[in-house]
Amino acid sequence: MSEPRNVKNLKDRINRIEDILASVAAGDMDARIETEIEDDLSGIEAAIDLLIDDLTDELRQREKMQKELETKLKEIQEQQRTIVQQQEDLLELSSPVSKVWDNILILPVIGTLDSQRTQIMMENLLQKIVDTGCTISILDITGVPTVDTQVANHLLKTVTSARLLGAECIISGISPAIAQTIVHLGIDLSTIRTKATLQDAMIYAMKQNKRSDEMKVLSRNALSDEKED
Amino acid sequence: MDLHEKRIPIIKIRDFLIVSIQVDMHDKLAIQLQSQILEEIGRTGAKGVLIDISVLEMVDSFIGRMLSGMASMASIMDAAVVIVGMQPAVAITLVELGLEMPGVDTALNMEKGMEMLEKRLKDLEHNFF
Repeated sequence: MSEPRNVKNLKDRINRIEDILASVAAGDMDARIETEIEDDLSGIEAAIDLLIDDLTDELRQREKMQKELETKLKEIQEQQRTIVQQQEDLLELSSPVSKVWDNILILPVIGTLDSQRTQIMMENLLQKIVDTGCTISILDITGVPTVDTQVANHLLKTVTSARLLGAECIISGISPAIAQTIVHLGIDLSTIRTKATLQDAMIYAMKQNKRSDEMKVLSRNALSDEKED
Repeated sequence: MDLHEKRIPIIKIRDFLIVSIQVDMHDKLAIQLQSQILEEIGRTGAKGVLIDISVLEMVDSFIGRMLSGMASMASIMDAAVVIVGMQPAVAITLVELGLEMPGVDTALNMEKGMEMLEKRLKDLEHNFF
């Protein structure tokens, strides 16, 4: 039994539409139906072709945008890395501990203090004390505009830790504003030796140095006296 | 005394006792060391104790309390305790734990600690005579 010609033709065309849609779905964006017959079905076929065109455009645009976004993201990540790196560098740079005299270390602090910075400062100072064997360190905070409770607490901790290591830590250059804040916050700095200026702190440190030198001489003399006896 | 147990040696030099902690401290060892040192102070009549903790990389609150407790016990027995060579990380830990050890003397190294004790002994003699 043979089908009428136009019915068979119709089946073929529907099959072709199905095939084309399948290949588009599989990712072949160049597939088109491209019929040459003009009838009722050709309108639908043309519409499907148009839709495939639109879809292709959309997909291309989306890919382009995605690529752009990816490059932007990479740039931003790069910048972020640079910022973090610079922050770390800045933290390192912002707490230089230098040995200025026999047995005396100075840590000048300039700029606003936050917890992280004070923490790094503290670690640097303590490490330096151990490395150099200096027993007196001066923490000069002339260049610090303000402190809050947390920072004051950190300063206290630094001084206490230095004492535990066996070194004395002097704080110098407390500005009137900081003095007011500290008293208003009710922080007790009485256990800590504070000096008005770096100069005063330096003088005090040198005196301490001299005293310990004298002690050394005394004890050496005492030892030799014992031997003579 | 159990021979298999680890003991930290206590060395007497002139009027001082020198204790160098070179193993990781655990609680039992700490308690044992504490009583050992106090006994030794009583036995030898030492005037000072140097405790070297330069190789101790970690302390917990128990060891910290033990150290500061030992200092006050020794001072009752008329011996000064100087803790020597504390590492920065250990100092930070102790301060964070709130163990600021107010009564304990500290020194950066053994030499400085010895000087401190000698000075103390000298002061005592001066006051006595």
